Amino acid sequence: MYFAQLAVNGLVQGLVISLAAMSITLVFGIVRFPNAATGDVMTVGAFSGLVVYPMTGSLLASGIFAVIVTAAVALISHLLVFRRLAGRSVVALLVASIGVGFVLRSIMGLVFGHQPMVFSMPLSRPYRIGGLAINPLDLQLALLAAVMLALAFAVLHLTPIGRQMRAVADNPSLARVSGIRSGRVLAALWVLAGAIAGAGGVMLGVKTVVNPEMGWDMLMPAFAAAIFGGIGSPAGALLAGLILGVVQEMSTPFVGFTYKIALSFAIMLVVLLRRPTGLLGRIEGVR
Amino acid sequence: MNRTRREFLAGTAGAMALPLFAGSVFAQSGGSLRIGALNPVTGAGGPYGEGMQKMILAAAEAINAAGGAAGSKIEIFAEDTQTDPQAAVLAAKKLIEVNKVEAVLGTWSSGISLAVIPLTNDAGKILMHTSGAPALSVPPANEKGLGYRFQATNDRFGRAFAEIAEKEGFKRPATMAFNNASGIGNTEGFKKAWTAKGGEVVSEVVYEPKQASYRSELMQILAAQPDVIVTGSYVGDTTIILREWYQTGQPVKWIIPGWAANSDLVAALGADVVEGIISVDSISNEKAPSFAAYDKAYQAAMGKPGTDNVYAAMTWDMMTVLALAVEAAGSTDMAKVNEKMRDVANPEGTKVYTFAEGKEALKSGPINYEGASSVLDFDEHGDVTPDFSASFVEDGKINRRYVVKI
Repeated sequence: MYFAQLAVNGLVQGLVISLAAMSITLVFGIVRFPNAATGDVMTVGAFSGLVVYPMTGSLLASGIFAVIVTAAVALISHLLVFRRLAGRSVVALLVASIGVGFVLRSIMGLVFGHQPMVFSMPLSRPYRIGGLAINPLDLQLALLAAVMLALAFAVLHLTPIGRQMRAVADNPSLARVSGIRSGRVLAALWVLAGAIAGAGGVMLGVKTVVNPEMGWDMLMPAFAAAIFGGIGSPAGALLAGLILGVVQEMSTPFVGFTYKIALSFAIMLVVLLRRPTGLLGRIEGVR
Repeated sequence: MNRTRREFLAGTAGAMALPLFAGSVFAQSGGSLRIGALNPVTGAGGPYGEGMQKMILAAAEAINAAGGAAGSKIEIFAEDTQTDPQAAVLAAKKLIEVNKVEAVLGTWSSGISLAVIPLTNDAGKILMHTSGAPALSVPPANEKGLGYRFQATNDRFGRAFAEIAEKEGFKRPATMAFNNASGIGNTEGFKKAWTAKGGEVVSEVVYEPKQASYRSELMQILAAQPDVIVTGSYVGDTTIILREWYQTGQPVKWIIPGWAANSDLVAALGADVVEGIISVDSISNEKAPSFAAYDKAYQAAMGKPGTDNVYAAMTWDMMTVLALAVEAAGSTDMAKVNEKMRDVANPEGTKVYTFAEGKEALKSGPINYEGASSVLDFDEHGDVTPDFSASFVEDGKINRRYVVKI
């Protein structure tokens, strides 16, 4: 039962990592660079939610507003920065994304200050289900994440623009000669990636404290999950994030709390050694 | 053109390795004694850093208004540690090598002071800090005696925690420590003092920073049925821990250091959650005229009472006592200044409370600067021993109940 409880604790943490990793993996799959501004876009989401929450008192409304803001921020970063660097080396784009992250973080520092802020939610006692303590707030957050994930997968797999995105991810040149307009596809991609990061940011903000550095601190596990899941695979990122979250918590009776993070990275290492493409990644063609 | 996973990994590694330099310099011109103000303006120390930096500037202004120290005007170069050792080291390097400062003032959090002190030692410069780690007292960190601590050591904090736990009649304490020199220093200091009193610590956890949840850590601690949990923690992680604890519904008391159990914590969690928490802090020398001078400057700069920020009182004292030592040495050579530090701060001598008073009194004999942060008497390690306050959170207010001397 103790382990089941640890697994439940880990699942909710894993969802946050999953959302961040999905945003990273989507951008990498199509624009082909690790977007280091993802964490700071999450922070933008958390602050946006924080602004709206006291006005509405609704987690859903805060989440929707945050997702709209971060989608816009991601789109603007694409239009102002990343689109102009298209075709440059991956390092140029990476450094540019670090710069975008800096700018976002500094703006938030200026506007909101560095005091830790919180969503002042009414605190509630957990539900007891067969000895498992499940927090009502965690359930709400998991629901929010599920809605966001369902939307993301629906866009990717059920809409024409999603099909086009996947086509561009698969083979940009072939996609272009097939008449796919890459400008529209890229804009849609950034909106989607921003929205997912924003949802993750709100979740993280509600669970922890909101400050301008919170998203940047998430970047490491998020990158790890993106690699672990197989770069470019949204479903892999989701799975990997959940696994990292759960394994970290389940390992604590054996390795203690100090080494739980190291252990989850060790597991990632083993998986990558056995399966270099990650959980759900494909072997990329070499030309 | 497909890019490979290898490129992604290389890029990611690059991102992590890239030094995160930020921060600002607002240099003033025309001075000749260059001082670095290296404070946690952003990051976990953010609630304190701005006030700390402004008080170094304000104290320097007061010194310059009194004609400067040993004929030199003070010139401040300000940097942000981001409460991150890597950023702090870069900033300290820049202060020492580019700005050629003679002393670095006001580092906060032990990890940062421990990272910066080798640089100041190598350059033969003075480091004045507000960190608690016991390692900062002794070699190798303080082998040259150039490090001065304006805060109580974590060991002293731990002793104060144990005094208070005994006074409050707790029998089954457990500890939770943030995994750094300061957090562990607090709980280890507590454990040492508590077991010396014949007590037993029922459970201990050291937890990692920057986690989204500490529920599993709490599960382990609460399973031991403690009557009080003593922490070495910061405000961000304490917020998460207390929220998750409250949701478990298991009654327990808390003893938390003042830099974590402050008004920000109360505002973040609401009065119900924090009711009855004992906040332990070193206290400023609040009845001294030096505190009144500091308080006035703090109000002017920050619009809040000076009691809000014990670290700002410390940085105010840093600048003042350093300038007095410069004045006493009659030189800005740090080797000579360092010899004068205890002469101007410790008894015997005329008690003085501001730089202007001290400068005047030095003409006729030795002085003893009584600081705003404590009476400021340095022991052989450059440490001070302030008093501690035990404050209780009642109806969302942090009320001081009594003072503990160790």
